[in-house]
Amino acid sequence: MDQMLPSPGFSIPSIGTPLHQPEEDQQILPHAQQQQQQQQQQLPPPPTSLQQMPVLSTPQKTMHTYAPSGFTPQSLMQPQTPQNLMSPMVTPSSQMATLSNMGPATPSPMTPMTPSSADPGIIPQLQNIVSTVNLGCKLDLKKIALHARNAEYNPKRFAAVIMRIREPRTTALIFSSGKMVCTGAKSEEDSRLAARKYARIIQKLGFPAKFLDFKIQNMVGSCDVKFPIRLEGLVLTHGQFSSYEPELFPGLIYRMVKPRIVLLIFVSGKVVLTGAKVRQEIYEAFDNIYPILKSFKKQ
Amino acid sequence: MSYQLYRNTTLGNTLQESLDELIQYGQITPQLAIKVLLQFDKSINMALATRVKSRLTFKAGKLNTYRFCDNVWTFMLNDVEFREAQEMAKVDKVKIVACDGKSEFAV
Repeated sequence: MDQMLPSPGFSIPSIGTPLHQPEEDQQILPHAQQQQQQQQQQLPPPPTSLQQMPVLSTPQKTMHTYAPSGFTPQSLMQPQTPQNLMSPMVTPSSQMATLSNMGPATPSPMTPMTPSSADPGIIPQLQNIVSTVNLGCKLDLKKIALHARNAEYNPKRFAAVIMRIREPRTTALIFSSGKMVCTGAKSEEDSRLAARKYARIIQKLGFPAKFLDFKIQNMVGSCDVKFPIRLEGLVLTHGQFSSYEPELFPGLIYRMVKPRIVLLIFVSGKVVLTGAKVRQEIYEAFDNIYPILKSFKKQ
Repeated sequence: MSYQLYRNTTLGNTLQESLDELIQYGQITPQLAIKVLLQFDKSINMALATRVKSRLTFKAGKLNTYRFCDNVWTFMLNDVEFREAQEMAKVDKVKIVACDGKSEFAV
């Protein structure tokens, strides 16, 4: 729960969002976390008679809570401060249940979110998820390759069976130790479902397959900021994080420290984010990089 | 030693049946039948490699399944169209078993 960081796409300019420097952004996050925790402790008391979210009704609360959930940011778009509550679109009870009351920032300089350089709702799309699972039993790869469909086994080249399924469209590497790697899924649920399907296939072939220690190892996302970027400038100012060698690779490799994500930034404005263990890290990394990219927009 | 891949063809199967008949009538020994089949393997592999010049292309609607094991590819295709020069043949299901052309192995 210490990853409760803002997800993109819900700042509403009408609040009067203040200008905000990217570095402040990072410093304030712990502060936001504290406030988030305060808010959560105050949540159990019942909502006020107003049809607002319980959190918003208490005056001493500042409006910078962020959903701890790692769900898509759209689900977090909600009415904000009591002053400009637009519509009670969300039922308070359901919101209490989810605990994550999204409120975009009030017009105070302490808000970690919604600087004027906040992204206009761009959400990175997940492109690939790599996960591993232990089937818990030794496997006879030759038997699997001979009896399963859509399997390749070339022990001279690689010591695993490469199997593919069409739905979800994924590829699995199955090793004789019983461990399996599942790649190609576009969402966490898909990755888990696909891994289960592979385990089922192995089970049907007669092996006592189990489903132990399923873990997502890597998530890759991509998005487009829709403007060209001055990579040279970026590598000059963020030298300790960036590496840009256009003769080797046309993209700038930005190694963000918190969260620990690697971003490939291209002149066209396309960004690839990788190295995440959870979806929220991708969103967070993009939120962090967006103001920086904006400042290096090619005019 | 050549691939014994072509024993399961019309030509190979009729050869095997004939040999079995001869063995039954006691006119040849099983040992000789094996030698005949091995010679058949060699001859058919050489003939296909050198004496066959026709080119056939095919396109399938769907690759149903594929398998690669022991250096042998097995494909199951659906809705396939074979073309050769001006001739065309359409089939619903095709099974392709393919062995490596470069290296020689007895199967």
